[in-house]
Amino acid sequence: MATKTKKRAVAVILLVTMLAALMAACSGKNENGGASASGSAGAKGSESAKPSATAEPPVTLDWLAYNSYGQPDANAPLVQMVEKKFNAKFNVWYVDNQKWVDQLNVKFAAGEMPDVLQIREQIPKYVDNGILAPIPEEKIRELAPTYAATIDKYDPNLWNAVKYDGKIYGLPSINLAGDYPTVVLWRQDWLDNVGITKIPETLDEFEAALLKFRNDDPDKDGKKDTYGLSSFAIPFVMGAFGYPGNNASYVMKDGKITFAAIQPEMKDALTVLNKWYKEELIDPEFVTGENTGGYWADSQALYNGRIGLTGNGMFYQWRNELFGGEDQGGGQYQNFIKAQPGGKLTFGKPPVGPSGKSGTLQWGVNSTAVGITNKAAEDPRKLETLLKMLETTFTDYDYYMTVLRGNEGEDWKKVDDSGKVLILNQSTSVADFSKKGVQVFNIMNNPDFDKKADADLYKFADSKKTTGYPPVIAPAVDSYAKYAGDLYKLATETYIKIILGEQPVSSFDAFVAKFKANGGDEIEKDVNEAYNKMLGK
Amino acid sequence: MKQRRMSDRLFSLVVYALLTGLALTIVLPMMQVLTISVSPLNVVNRYGFHFIPTAFDFSGYRQVFHKETIWTGYQNTLVRTILGTGITIVMTFLGAYPLSKRQLPNRAFWTGFVVLTMFFSGGLIPSYMLVKNIGLMNTVWSLVLPGAVSAFMLLIVRNFIAALPESLEESAKIDGANDLYILWKIVVPLSMPILATVALYAAVDHWNAWFDSMLYIQNEKKQVLQLILRKIIIDGTADPSTTGAADSMNAPTNSQAMKMAALVVTMLPIMCVYPFLQKYFVKGTLLGSVKG
Repeated sequence: MATKTKKRAVAVILLVTMLAALMAACSGKNENGGASASGSAGAKGSESAKPSATAEPPVTLDWLAYNSYGQPDANAPLVQMVEKKFNAKFNVWYVDNQKWVDQLNVKFAAGEMPDVLQIREQIPKYVDNGILAPIPEEKIRELAPTYAATIDKYDPNLWNAVKYDGKIYGLPSINLAGDYPTVVLWRQDWLDNVGITKIPETLDEFEAALLKFRNDDPDKDGKKDTYGLSSFAIPFVMGAFGYPGNNASYVMKDGKITFAAIQPEMKDALTVLNKWYKEELIDPEFVTGENTGGYWADSQALYNGRIGLTGNGMFYQWRNELFGGEDQGGGQYQNFIKAQPGGKLTFGKPPVGPSGKSGTLQWGVNSTAVGITNKAAEDPRKLETLLKMLETTFTDYDYYMTVLRGNEGEDWKKVDDSGKVLILNQSTSVADFSKKGVQVFNIMNNPDFDKKADADLYKFADSKKTTGYPPVIAPAVDSYAKYAGDLYKLATETYIKIILGEQPVSSFDAFVAKFKANGGDEIEKDVNEAYNKMLGK
Repeated sequence: MKQRRMSDRLFSLVVYALLTGLALTIVLPMMQVLTISVSPLNVVNRYGFHFIPTAFDFSGYRQVFHKETIWTGYQNTLVRTILGTGITIVMTFLGAYPLSKRQLPNRAFWTGFVVLTMFFSGGLIPSYMLVKNIGLMNTVWSLVLPGAVSAFMLLIVRNFIAALPESLEESAKIDGANDLYILWKIVVPLSMPILATVALYAAVDHWNAWFDSMLYIQNEKKQVLQLILRKIIIDGTADPSTTGAADSMNAPTNSQAMKMAALVVTMLPIMCVYPFLQKYFVKGTLLGSVKG
C-alpha cells in the first residue's frame, strides 16, 4: 500500500515537473516570439511617437499585394519612404510563393486576413466565402484615373475578368509580355544550307523547307539525322487552322465559349500534321516533348541539332540582337550559341493556312489582380490609400522605378533623357530585392513605364511581333475543375495518336462525341452561364 | 559434391549480379546528380547520361550558398533536429513505459486512447488554430511539439519494453532499488536499440520537414533549411516576366545544376551520419516489425 502511494506520488511529481518544464519553455519562447512579432509593432510605436504633419494617424495595412519571394525588412529605407509618402503603416505578410493558396486558406479558416492581397484563387470562391469586398468602379476612376485609362487602353475586357455578379472585386493588372505572342524560330544557317532565301510564310512553304531540313542534310554532317520540328512548333501549325487545339482551352465562337479541341478545323490541322509525320518532318521524340529538363523554354532538340524550327518561348528568351556592351542576348539564345557555336537563328512568322488564318500561342495580358478584403472595407481609408498608391505607380516614373527597382544610382540609373534605364545590380535575385522592400509596393507592373525603361528590348519585341491567340477570359466553373484534367488528357492523347497514325484522322469525329459526352457539354453550358453572370447580364 | 559446388557458385553469381544491379540503380542516379551539380549549361543540355563530369562550373553551388539565410536555415534545422529528437525520445519513452506495465489501471483504455490518434486527427486547419492559440507561432516549439510523439513509435517502444524479462526489475527491487532507479539503470540501458531507432526516424523526419515551417513560421530567419533551399530553387527558376525582373531575362539560369547542388547540400550531412546509425536502424526496424 505504502509503495503504491509512493509510486503514485513519484509519477505525479514527474508529470508536474515535465509539464512545468514544458510550460516554462513555451512561455519563455512566447515572449521571444512576441518580441519578434512586434518588430513591426515596435516600429509602429516609434512612428506614432513622432507627430506626423497630417492630423490623421497613419492607416495600417496588412499587405500581401506582392509576389512574396522574400521577406521585406520593416526598417528598410524604401519601406519607410512609402509609409511616409502615403501616411500608412505596412504590416507586410510573408507567405510561400508556391503554396500561396493553401497557406492562405489555412489562415482564412483561422480568421486571419490581410487587407490587400493578390488574388490567386478564383474570384467567385473568395467572394462566396466572404473574403473579397467589392471595389466601386467610380472610386477607381476617381482616385486612379490614369491606371483605369491604361487598363482601358490594353484590353477593356480585363474589367470583366474581375467581375462577379456585375460588381468589380479586384484591380486588374497587365502582364506586358503577354501582349506578345510566343515566337517562331528558324535555324537560319540550315535555311542557308538548303538554299532557301525567303523565310517561309505559308503552310506549303513551311512544308517545303521542312522537307529539305529532313532530306538535304542541313547540318552538313553526311548523316540523315535531322528533322523539321518537334512539340514546340505544333501549336502554331494548328494555328494556321484557327486555334492551337491540342489542349482543353476555351475559344470564343459567335459570342459563345466553347472548346478549341473539338472544332472541325482541327481535323484539317491533324490531317496535315499526320502527313508531315509520315514524311518524317516531325521528330518522333515530340511525344515526350522537346524540352527534356531545365528551364521550360529550353529546347534540347534545337540545342542538339535535331530540329530546325521551334517556338513556345518569348522574345526576351530568344533575343538574337545584341544591345552592345557585355550583352549576350536572351538566355535561351545564349544556350543555343553555346551548344551550336556556328548556329544562327532567325525570327519567323506563324504559317498562314488555307483560309488565311495564322497565329501562335499567346499568354494574354491578363495578370494577377489585386483585391481588398472585407476586413479592409471597414475602413474606407484603406481602399483610398491603395488607390492613391496605385495611381502614383501609373503617374510618377521615378517613384515607380524606385519601388520596382530600388534606389536610383545604386540599383539603377537613367542612361538618357528618354528615361531609359540601366540596371546596375543584374545578378541580384528577386528574394534579395524583396528584402530591401523592392517590388513590394508597386502593386502591379505599369506596362507603359516598363516599355519606357526597357526601350531597346521592347523595340526589338515590337519588330518581331507576330499574330497570336490569347486565351479567352472566362470565369472558373466547378465542372471545369472536375472534368478538365480528363478532357485535357483525352485531347492530347487523341491528337498525338492521330499525328502518329495510330488512329485514323476519321476517328476525330468519334473523339468529338466522346469529349462532349465526358463533360465537355456540361462545362460549356456552365461556363456560358457563369460568363453572362460575370458580366451581370 | 562437385555439382553442388557448381550450383552454389551459380547461386552466388546470380545473387551478386542482382545485388550489383541493385547497387547500380542507386549509385548511377547519384553520380548523375553529382555530375550535373558541377556542370555548365551546355553539358547539361546535351543528350545522354552524365555520369562523369567533363567540364566544371560551380555556379549552381554559388547560387545556393549566396543567400545568407542558408546558414540560419542550417542552424535552425540543426536546432530543431536535436531538440525535436530529444523531446521525441523522452516523451515516447515516458509514454511507452507505463503502458507496458500490466498493473497500470485501465491499461487497455489508455492504449486505445493512443491508438485512436493514429487513425483520427484534427486536420490541418484545427492544428493551425491550436498552434496559433497556444502561442507557438514563429517559434521552434511549433516545429517540435505538434509531432513530438508518434503513436506508432510509442507502440513499438511499448512492445519492446514489455518483452524485457519482468524478473530483471523484480530482482532489482529486491536489492532495494526504487522505481526511478530501475527505470534509469535497468530499463533505459536495455532499451537502447529501440531508442536509437526512434531517434533516427525522428531525426530524419525533422531534417526533411519543411511544410510545418512554412505554415507556422513567418520570419525568414527562423525558417528551416529545406524551405530555404526550396525558395532558392523557385527563385532561380521563376519566370522573369512573372516576377517583373526584366533584367534577369538576359541571364540563362542553370536551374538544373542549381537543383542538383541543392540536393547535394541537403543530402550530405544525413549521408555522413547514416553509416554510423545504420546498424541500429536495421536492428530496430526488425524488432518493430516482428513484435509491433
